[in-house]
Amino acid sequence: MAAASLVMTDDSTVSRLDRGLLEVEKLFALISGLAVFALMILAVISVGGRNALNQPIPGYVDWIEQAMPLIAFMGISYTQREGGHIRMDLLVGNLKGRALWLAELATTLLILILMMLLVWGTFAHFLRSFDMSQPLWSRDSSMDIGLPIWPAKLIVPVAFGVICLRLMLQVFVYARAVVQGTERPVGVPLIADAATQAALEAATVTGDDNDDKGH
Amino acid sequence: MDSITIGLIVTGFMLVSVILGMRVAFAAGISGLVGLIWIFWSRRGYDPEAFTWALGVAVQTAGQVPHSKISSQALSLIPTFILIGYLAYHAGLTKALFEAAKRWMAWVPGGLAVSTVFATAGFAAVSGASVATSAVFARIAIPEMLAIGYDKKFAAGVVAAAGTLASLIPPSAILVIYAIIVEQDVGALLLAGFIPGVFSAFVYTALIIGMALTIKDFGPRVTGFTWKQRFASLPPALPIVAVVVIIIFFVYNPFGGDAWGTPTEGGAIGAFIVFLMALYRGMRWPELRDALMETAKLSVMIFTIIWGVLIYVRFLGFADLPGAFSDWLTSLDMAPLLILIMILLAYAVLGMFMDAIGMLLLTLPVVFPAIMALNGGMNVSAEASAFGMSGPMCAIWFGILVVKMAEFCLITPPIGLNCFVVAGVRPDITVQDVFKGVMPFFIADAITIALLVAFPMIVLWLPSQM
Amino acid sequence: ATEWNVSVWGSRRAFTEHIERLAELLDERTDGEFTLNISYGGLSGNRENLDGISIGAFEMAQFCAGYHADKNPSITVLELPFLGVSDLQQEREISQALYEHPAVVADLARWNAVLLMPSPLPQYNIVGVGDAPQTLEDFDGMAVRATGGIGAAMETIGAVPNSMSATEVRQALDGGLVQGVSFAPHAHMSFGTIETGEWWTTNLNPGTVNCPVVVNSDALAALSDEHREVLMSSVDDALDYYIDYYNEQTMAAWGPALDERGIERVTFSEEELQAFREAAAEPAAQAWIEENTARGLPAQELYDFVTGMIAEGGM
Ligand code: NA
Ligand code: NA
Repeated sequence: MAAASLVMTDDSTVSRLDRGLLEVEKLFALISGLAVFALMILAVISVGGRNALNQPIPGYVDWIEQAMPLIAFMGISYTQREGGHIRMDLLVGNLKGRALWLAELATTLLILILMMLLVWGTFAHFLRSFDMSQPLWSRDSSMDIGLPIWPAKLIVPVAFGVICLRLMLQVFVYARAVVQGTERPVGVPLIADAATQAALEAATVTGDDNDDKGH
Repeated sequence: MDSITIGLIVTGFMLVSVILGMRVAFAAGISGLVGLIWIFWSRRGYDPEAFTWALGVAVQTAGQVPHSKISSQALSLIPTFILIGYLAYHAGLTKALFEAAKRWMAWVPGGLAVSTVFATAGFAAVSGASVATSAVFARIAIPEMLAIGYDKKFAAGVVAAAGTLASLIPPSAILVIYAIIVEQDVGALLLAGFIPGVFSAFVYTALIIGMALTIKDFGPRVTGFTWKQRFASLPPALPIVAVVVIIIFFVYNPFGGDAWGTPTEGGAIGAFIVFLMALYRGMRWPELRDALMETAKLSVMIFTIIWGVLIYVRFLGFADLPGAFSDWLTSLDMAPLLILIMILLAYAVLGMFMDAIGMLLLTLPVVFPAIMALNGGMNVSAEASAFGMSGPMCAIWFGILVVKMAEFCLITPPIGLNCFVVAGVRPDITVQDVFKGVMPFFIADAITIALLVAFPMIVLWLPSQM
Repeated sequence: ATEWNVSVWGSRRAFTEHIERLAELLDERTDGEFTLNISYGGLSGNRENLDGISIGAFEMAQFCAGYHADKNPSITVLELPFLGVSDLQQEREISQALYEHPAVVADLARWNAVLLMPSPLPQYNIVGVGDAPQTLEDFDGMAVRATGGIGAAMETIGAVPNSMSATEVRQALDGGLVQGVSFAPHAHMSFGTIETGEWWTTNLNPGTVNCPVVVNSDALAALSDEHREVLMSSVDDALDYYIDYYNEQTMAAWGPALDERGIERVTFSEEELQAFREAAAEPAAQAWIEENTARGLPAQELYDFVTGMIAEGGM
């Protein structure tokens, strides 16, 4: 049931970088998914433990709070790669060629600036909770059972760092497309019409029987 | 320039960048960050030397938001409720539901669309997220509707609209978010959503039948199922009942005993049962991995909007825009019911530009106290109140109204998340197509909301039995 | 004119009245030249107020030590179970004295923060459902919502502490997930536990939380001498007002609130409580001292400082 990817590939350096980064992004997204699964198992153990043994998991809430950053942030770059962060494409959807790539370049560049600043901001947030001179290096702990919070806080700038790499690649691709006037650049998500063609082409090449693509 | 003006300018900037096609989460985030820099710099009189200070303080203030706001137990319900949806797909529950609905209902005018609405309502009882529900049914129902000649715009519109039922019929992530923001009983709110959700499904059905009777070549009835075929379709869909019972018992025990746990746990146990069912139906690691990846992608998308909007909300806090709004609203000399209706209309307008969760997060801290004050305060009795209901009941009633409004906004252009998701699942259908197809459902939703305002008992009867 | 932003959370309540009063006093005493702009949740999350102070995003904030012990280990000594603090006034005096201890000053200086005043709260007690406990033994096997040190103390009499966020507490009590909830009276009222509860322990008094108000040290240094003097001299007046308000408004509403709902008051005998204190207080104190000595704090000294003051104050 995986939706067709909207990103074109070939054997250029850019595409290889794209797919190399994609491996990292997929791994991170999988960790995010596994954290959701772990949350489910944790609840089963908690309910089971409470009802069968009258022994709930100590610090259940603290553990959930630790797992949430894994779920919420690890997949951010994968989602950006697949064009999964929602937007209103009423206007950009009607642009073509250079005008389209220029618009994409502008918004992607803004997002890159935002995310680079947030790497700084979230890393500073991590640093405030981290102190090598303290037991467990901790300068901030959870409310109930006092777990150190710095590992969870560190997840955020790490995940944001990966999306910065992704955005740099996209900025490069869009900038080159503006210069060269490319119609369907590799390594960036294409919007609906072009993507449909791409998906259909891919399907004829690979014999993919995914029924999502049929008209 | 005073901070209110800065607040308004930055808000304008955010709306423009969203309309220009910037991804919503980041448009909100960057607006919030720019606003914070502006506010802090203005405090130092725009001294050029103070700019780096303002930048540093703003970036660090914004940098706290993602981790601190996302690390909450209440929000953990969202990925769990999304995961249930994907697992239910692998457990064959969605197909089974759709098949059963088709065999029992498709003989009416507009039958396949009506079946889609009822299958979605059934699925809503295990799925807590509207967008996930729409995504799943876009895969199942749209191909069948297209195959017998439905207009692709309308087929996509039905799925987008019916998906919104998932947020009223429990479990519902957004009702949980509402309960958390206004600090009301999560269980009572989840229970209160049930009847309005089913009620909405019937209004959608009436609309579809009406359209089928008046529009030529709308999409044929599907007939010819025998009673034997009909009954044979029920057992595969039956497990959904088990999951519904479990989730309800974790919220409220109808037989008067103790509930079995908290809603957070109920959601997770529900997911676990569906997981076991999917294993039994042959789901293995590759399918589970896909389901987890899809859950991750959708969860991340929602969470990114949440923290992006919350950076913007943090800026609003420093600009004190909500406070200014609250003062203005409570100074109005108007009938409380009129003010309530105007607030709901304002939500409809705001919802055109915002997603449901962002909108609730953004407005409720301001609007909820104002509504409670209009009714006569949190501790008011039904007799002494403006809307004829006690404080806690008013909180529930307003919650359902506002969530129904927020769900309405999931299908209104230019930012209607459900429509984006349907278009995302079906590369052959554009977002504009879905928006065109979903338009008739605006009328159905307007009728539903009017009835919920006029007859609060539709909402309040069930929770008042608790 | 100087305007300070103040970050607190929730809504205006007894717990924030000293800050509201301080704002009034500053406004009056400086003819509007030095004002406080109090924001309820708009500037920061309630567990990030020290971060905001450290960054310089706002100039004043309130927080509770127990929300994040590792951020402020030195003042968590005031959250140890069964310290035996008798009333709000004593809680205030001990807190104010401790806040001047050099180790405490240095601990908060890591956050660029200066402790201004406490928000004294009464002892926590348990609201519960089901048969009211007649003796402490009746807590054996009872699921209670109690976090941190109070949870650990309850465990010594066989209770099973459950952790959940304050907003899920009402649901958990309604649903029978826990049979008891430990809060200060104003929180029992605002989180609705007394709507379901059938009994309340009057004198279990296992401890409380310590919630100081701090200011950013750079902002404090940047004040004119006159404004700083007004700020410092207004603290005691603000605290007098706070304690009167808590005693006369909240505690006065508490008794009738219990009576209205027919909630049974459970009082334990002094001998029983003495045994409980011995079982719970000593190990908790020893663990605290050991843990915080490892951090490089003069933990034994801080503990003796606090217990010494309480002994002097008498019960
Ligand atoms: Na639902
Ligand atoms: Na919308």
